[in-house]
Amino acid sequence: MSSSKFRQASNALLFLGPASLFLIGLLLVPIIVDLVVSFTDMNQTIKVDEFTTKQFRKLVKPSEEAWFGFELRSSFYRALMLSAIYVFFTLTIFNIGFALVLALTTTALPGRLGGLFRAIWLLPRMSPSVVYALLWLWVVDPTDRGLLNQILSITGLGPINPKLDAPIMVIVCANGFIGASMGMLILTSAIRSIPEHLFHAARADGAGGLSVIRHIVLPALRWPLSYITVFQFLALLVSFEYIFLIMGPARSTMTMSMLSYTKTLAPDTGSGQYAYGAAITLILIVIGMAVALLLWRLTNMKQLLTQPRIEVQ
Amino acid sequence: MARVELRNLSKVWDSSVAVNGIDLSIADREFVAILGPSGCGKSTTLFMLAGVYMPTGGEIRFDDAVVNDVEARDRNVGIVFQSYALYPNMSVLQNIMFPLRFQKVDNPEAKARDMADLVQVGELLDRRPSQLSGGQQQRVALARALVKRPNLLLLDEPLSNLDATLRLTMRSEIRRITRELGVTTVLVTHDQLEATTMADRVICMRAGQIEQVGSAEDLYLRPETLFVASFIGSPPINLIAGEGRNGRVEAGDQRIETGQDGQLTIGIRPEMITVAETGLPGTIRVVEAMGREILYAAETNFGLIRFLEATSQPRWRDGDQVALAFQPEQTLLFGAEGKRIADHYAKLGVTTDA
Ligand SMILES: Nc1ncnc2c1ncn2[C@@H]1O[C@H](COP(=O)(O)OP(=O)(O)OP(=O)(O)O)[C@@H](O)[C@H]1O
Ligand SMILES: [Mg+2]
Repeated sequence: MSSSKFRQASNALLFLGPASLFLIGLLLVPIIVDLVVSFTDMNQTIKVDEFTTKQFRKLVKPSEEAWFGFELRSSFYRALMLSAIYVFFTLTIFNIGFALVLALTTTALPGRLGGLFRAIWLLPRMSPSVVYALLWLWVVDPTDRGLLNQILSITGLGPINPKLDAPIMVIVCANGFIGASMGMLILTSAIRSIPEHLFHAARADGAGGLSVIRHIVLPALRWPLSYITVFQFLALLVSFEYIFLIMGPARSTMTMSMLSYTKTLAPDTGSGQYAYGAAITLILIVIGMAVALLLWRLTNMKQLLTQPRIEVQ
Repeated sequence: MARVELRNLSKVWDSSVAVNGIDLSIADREFVAILGPSGCGKSTTLFMLAGVYMPTGGEIRFDDAVVNDVEARDRNVGIVFQSYALYPNMSVLQNIMFPLRFQKVDNPEAKARDMADLVQVGELLDRRPSQLSGGQQQRVALARALVKRPNLLLLDEPLSNLDATLRLTMRSEIRRITRELGVTTVLVTHDQLEATTMADRVICMRAGQIEQVGSAEDLYLRPETLFVASFIGSPPINLIAGEGRNGRVEAGDQRIETGQDGQLTIGIRPEMITVAETGLPGTIRVVEAMGREILYAAETNFGLIRFLEATSQPRWRDGDQVALAFQPEQTLLFGAEGKRIADHYAKLGVTTDA
């Protein structure tokens, strides 16, 4: 090997090395371990006695009529549906919809005030998860002490128990309020990067507020929105901490990620079924990859990553 | 299509005064240019006319109706921004058609195509703004501003991003188009040549105020203030500052008759100075070829004095002795406040025994 080639190779190693190690160590290895463990019978004793597909048989059972010859077992089916509902509503209502509304309104407000509102929305991000979860526990507390019930009592309506009556709504709101802040930040900076003269031009051309949003702002947000959709979808799919902290291992909010967590690592909930949890996680990984690729295709994300998309003149 | 009148118009930002009480009337179909150095409030004035900025004081009238509180979209003005501000996600045709979306017009596409032909971008209708050259973008911006037949066309340094040749063609192009459409036009620029060649009237601004309004000739030959005299003209006017005593300003054995006493500034344009048999003695210090003219600077008792000669080869070289002469009627005399003292001129006198 000539010395310049050697230098090239060593440079490549030097620059790519840390990132590669990071990728392999933190992403690839866990996936492989998960894959292997999911086909074993590992439990509390962390011993592998045999390689088996029985973990997957807990999730699906052979069936003549169903697709691919398999039918989902009801607890797994339920988790899948809960995950879908939870991810879909958090994503559309909060992480995208609410983030967009926040970004639009706070950028429309005069300087300081807009910044103040955005800072308020960032507060939950800055506080520890447990504190944030405790706050929600207080909000949805079924007794008279709960914030929601205090407000309701003013209007003369009886106390409610959201954790029992609308559990999905509770976890969607709790995750959404904190999740919206990321989209808000990205969209705000995207709106800020629109040259101010475009707004002036649109106004002078006769556009009203809604037309400006439709013709000037939204086109500029296309790429940030696709990015947020893919990113937040993946984040929500595997998120469980607020669900666990607020709802505990309740059946009503046992999404896929919750199922996987409670079966393996969660304290006092019949945990330690590592192989079972690994199998659920493996399915989550496959769903995540499939949907991410699909969204990637739909939103043409490749273009987003290969060339800058914010056009400034 | 519209008469425009500004009365004591002001715009105060949080920390600074951008426009400080200006009065101006613009006749129907007139083409005026607002000329002034960077930061003097030209764009701010234009944006107030457009309705993009709200004035903090004074009045704007279109055809005698006060429009201060009328929103931009109801003023029917067309505006071309310095950065063109084309909509990046729309094609050229969509850009030009955009203003028509908000008006009830028959066949907007045909109108947009006609306008595109007028500004000669008819071949580019399917392109995106990012695929256009600066000159093409500028024409598209012009078409977009004109397509709704505005009462008033506002141009904010529309030619500043173009190369010299294109700028020249676009100047006459814009003039042709605005004449053809008969639209009242306000052009903002800090290029004096652009202002003086394109506009019927030039408004010279300084620090938020109007310094002088007049034809190009007025500003050049009869500037009212020292600022206008030094801002207009290239190469810049020679300014000799001195103390007038007994009606003359003296320096060494040289004197200039002024007929005025006190703090004075004498202005003489470089192109008005000639080398003569007798005159103010000077030593050539700078020789600079400027195309078909040569710019010299000679050191005299009154400081460095620039003058122009229309020759292709330099007649003088560094160190040569020359005598400079000028016609009194072509000089300008300014008093202590920088105001021109009308009907007074400076005349060269060459004696020591005063
Ligand atoms: N949005 C704004 N907020 C605060 N100050 C502003 C704003 N726009 C302009 N100014 C100030 O107002 C003054 C006039 O600005 P303006 O843009 O009108 O200058 P201009 O004559 O157009 O200069 P240029 O030739 O550089 O474009 C400047 O001092 C500028 O700093
Ligand atoms: Mg400007």
